[in-house]
Amino acid sequence: MPTRDATLRAYKQQMLNVLVHIQQHLDEPMPLHELASLAGLSPYHFHHVFTGMIGEPLLHHVRRLRLERAATRLKLTRLRVIDIALEAGYETHEAFTRAFAGAFGLSPRQFRERHHRSMTLDASSGVHFRARGRLRSFHTARPVKDVDLALPVVIKSLRPMRVAFVRHVGPYDRVAQAWDRLGAFLGKHGWLGGDAQFIGICHDDPAVTEPARIRYDACVTVDRRFTPENDIGVQTVAGGDYAVLTHVGDYGRLGDGYARLFGHWLPRSGRRLRAIPSFEMYLNSPESTDPQDLIVDLHAPLESR
Amino acid sequence: MASVTPTKKIDLYAQFKHEYVTPKAPVLVTIKPARYLAIDGQGAPGGARFTAAIGALYAVAFTIKMSRKFDGRQDYAVSKLEGRWYFDGEATDVARKDWRWTLMIRTPAFVTPAELRKAVTTLVARNKPTEVKEVRLETVKEGVSVQMLHVGPYENERETIDAMRAFAERRRLQFAGPHHEIYLSDPRRVPPPRLRTILRQPVRRVR
Repeated sequence: MPTRDATLRAYKQQMLNVLVHIQQHLDEPMPLHELASLAGLSPYHFHHVFTGMIGEPLLHHVRRLRLERAATRLKLTRLRVIDIALEAGYETHEAFTRAFAGAFGLSPRQFRERHHRSMTLDASSGVHFRARGRLRSFHTARPVKDVDLALPVVIKSLRPMRVAFVRHVGPYDRVAQAWDRLGAFLGKHGWLGGDAQFIGICHDDPAVTEPARIRYDACVTVDRRFTPENDIGVQTVAGGDYAVLTHVGDYGRLGDGYARLFGHWLPRSGRRLRAIPSFEMYLNSPESTDPQDLIVDLHAPLESR
Repeated sequence: MASVTPTKKIDLYAQFKHEYVTPKAPVLVTIKPARYLAIDGQGAPGGARFTAAIGALYAVAFTIKMSRKFDGRQDYAVSKLEGRWYFDGEATDVARKDWRWTLMIRTPAFVTPAELRKAVTTLVARNKPTEVKEVRLETVKEGVSVQMLHVGPYENERETIDAMRAFAERRRLQFAGPHHEIYLSDPRRVPPPRLRTILRQPVRRVR
């Protein structure tokens, strides 16, 4: 079995391949499966690992590099602002000016006038636009420091779980509708015993998939006698090894937990991810719990040893 | 579960927030009669009987709530777990296995005994543990009480209770009725030093 240092090096090497690819193809579409395969990861988990290791989501990263390139062009060339805007992926002068000013604090014109300004933006990874030369290294992001996140990651071996579920397609902040429907149906029919577990399966990453297309399954464990009915489906959550991180706090900050699990713990764990979605297990209800006391176990599926 | 929709759902904590104050020093509060789902038992906290009772209580609470919701009737948030503890003398004089308690979940006054019976029948039909049959509706009348927030493990409540007793005695009040706890934190994951519990003790004038 490889040592932990060796796996961390392997993860970093593969992520470096991705970063190099992005830098060399800044103007081309970047299909998820292509980047995931460069990283040696399943598309299910690529974005969590990328965000966790690099410290910013993929789309931010690409957008920032394009803006930095635009800044270089403004400083070193006489190209028209609209051409620089188009190259940076903006369709109008206005959209580009807004994005550029938001990032650099100056309009493109002002920036050009005072071109002594630095052309790089803050980034913990240390990865910036380069006109030439190959990227050789980057800094992995540090996990967010928070006492609530300081609980250790544990590996659990789970049995397969049969669950009743309602699929939600749409913005993540509306998943409560699916829970309302599922909870009312199961409760009315006596399926919510004391041992029922509440699970959310996230098939898409809100940082990549447009909100209207995000798929999320609200699930409650049921026994063999439960049969699907109308919009209430049945599926099995795969058993096997999972890395589990307990997140205590507002659901709005679950991203910090994912970054710690996928970006910090995983590359140092000596383990690989399985190509199935991760899931969240909710230990208390937002209805009767203050946001800072909400508890979620984040489950990342691992390949068995 | 993953997000809270603001609706006109009833939240008993918001409605009776002066009864759920969490002061760091004892205060006097007046508690109106309140309706609870309740189940009695004996045994150590965390023991088999205690755990089964919690499961039964939540199963009934959610089945009643969700049935109302399914039928489009007034929705409400299921409240936190509470407990009343009965000791002849000091808790420290009684073996944990002999501790007697009532576990409770506060419920809006409009929930009827018929709804409770229906929920129990539904759960039993699904082969849920038979403890659900022991869950009852109870109105608790506490009136004037001393209340204080306890932060830390349950075993360290002594100090908080002593402060509450001293506070009561200075006002010529004495403890009357069982010790009441409202569990704000979930002991399954919250580390003991950070557990938050409201302690409430009904009192009456010293005669």
